[in-house]
Amino acid sequence: MIYRLKLPILSASSSCLRRRRLSFYSTTAATASSFASHLSPPLKPQTPLFLRPLSHSTSPSSLLSFRQWAESLARSYAADLSIDGGPSASELIRELSWLLQDATFQAGETMLLRTDLQDLYCLWMQRIEARRPFQYIVGCEHWRDLVLAVREGVLIPRPETEELVDLVAGVEGFKDGLWADLGTGSGAIAIGIGRILGENGRVVATDLSEAAVEVARFNVGRYKLEDKVEIRQGHWFEPLQDLHGKLSGLVSNPPYIPSSHIPGLQAEVGKHEPSLALDGGMNGMDHLLHLCDGLISALKPGGFFAFETNGDKQSEYIVDFISSQGSNTFHDMRIVADFAGVRRFVTGYCQ
Amino acid sequence: MISRWALWITYGAHNHRPPLITDIRRTQQNLTSIKLSSSLSSSSSTSAAGEYLRLSDEELMAQCEMDTFKASGPGGQHRNKRESAVRLKHLPTGIIAQAVEDRSQHKNRASALCRLRTLLALKVRNAIELDGYRPPSELLQILPAKSTIRGSEVGPQIGPNNPKFTLGMQALLDLIFTVDGSVSEGAKILGLSTGALSRLILSDDSLRAAVNELRTSKGMRPLK
Repeated sequence: MIYRLKLPILSASSSCLRRRRLSFYSTTAATASSFASHLSPPLKPQTPLFLRPLSHSTSPSSLLSFRQWAESLARSYAADLSIDGGPSASELIRELSWLLQDATFQAGETMLLRTDLQDLYCLWMQRIEARRPFQYIVGCEHWRDLVLAVREGVLIPRPETEELVDLVAGVEGFKDGLWADLGTGSGAIAIGIGRILGENGRVVATDLSEAAVEVARFNVGRYKLEDKVEIRQGHWFEPLQDLHGKLSGLVSNPPYIPSSHIPGLQAEVGKHEPSLALDGGMNGMDHLLHLCDGLISALKPGGFFAFETNGDKQSEYIVDFISSQGSNTFHDMRIVADFAGVRRFVTGYCQ
Repeated sequence: MISRWALWITYGAHNHRPPLITDIRRTQQNLTSIKLSSSLSSSSSTSAAGEYLRLSDEELMAQCEMDTFKASGPGGQHRNKRESAVRLKHLPTGIIAQAVEDRSQHKNRASALCRLRTLLALKVRNAIELDGYRPPSELLQILPAKSTIRGSEVGPQIGPNNPKFTLGMQALLDLIFTVDGSVSEGAKILGLSTGALSRLILSDDSLRAAVNELRTSKGMRPLK
């Protein structure tokens, strides 16, 4: 609440710094997360920063002071952040330049802002101290050639997942197919596919989370894909009852992290992203196996599927699991590596 | 062939610190690419360079190695870290292009590929025979309309911001190299005044740099 006070910028920043010292020495998981929830802005309405009007202004020198303060904060905290695999100082400073890219516009001698300067101080404080993910700070993530709105409650789409769209694009006749994206989150995969479909192609995407459904619909609307991409709320296959046996293809990036790994995740992920989109149960494959079970009845003959997994062992297990459903049910099963060489995706075709 | 071109290695012009790259992986399509590139270089070593630029993005990508970050940990949902830098090495020539400035990996790959096309145009030279030389249509398209060898059927002049400019630039550099950097001689062949050809060369920074590098190496004054 202290950040909502209309303090002069300098005193706001110094009070932020004092707070930093205080909580730094009393760090426990509990204080960090209560601090985070304290700082979280109301969930609605939340327009991504780069889409807000330039309704604030400041001088270039004030903005420079902000940048210098933010950089020194990043440097002084980087070692603590790296303990759980968080960002390095240079990665934080790159995020800072992206924050300014989204938030500012230079008009002659004046810097126009999409939020007030004091809010920038507080956002950066949340980034560093509460480990609030950068993408939630700016309200968007750049993914493929898209800029997708994201917010708390919705998984931030990962760069690895960009490849799922390419896997779909490699399927013969995909352009006019009927596709499903289960657990769509921000709508990333569905929109990625929707943008390269032909005139008759369609995507139906589902998600259990109301926040995800809302954000996905916002993103679909921003890319004017309402005619191609439909978002339905519900549990995996449930909203697709009317499409059983009609799908040309099905893709999903379901939660696949084993429950026991959740406490050890970097704070940006473990403390801020929805566990609904991360936690895959004891061995991480609860949802993947559920999806495998539903494949046969959902896909039409010759239909394609592609799943993202935790990599290597999970991918192998999924291939074995699907193969064991009968040697004639699926063919051309493949495990595909992501850009880092992790065998990340399982793909195949229904007979 | 590769060792010769290795001398041409150039880094994508950008002021960012190069990323720490610890793992080199071939792009998936590379099995097909090896066939493709060997057939290109064996058919005619002099025409191969022009052919690279005519490849589709997918075909060109298939001739490249993409450097990525070695997986540190399981990645995917576990991780929130932007590692979007992309470095492409074009295997037949050894030319390297990279892009780090964008926020998405996908767009950095597109930028790196675009940069690779420019570097291929700038660095890979095709020998041309001046006797009976007729500029290819890509070169005619980048010439100003007043060129006397440019018919009206060529259409409007293509400028440096058009992706097709790269092919014309490559053909122009082939000609300038063949006439040893002489702008006046090149201008005569293209039906232009020396001043008009100079202006064309100066209209694109990378084209100007390539011509001036050649001229300097021949003891000529750089164009300004």
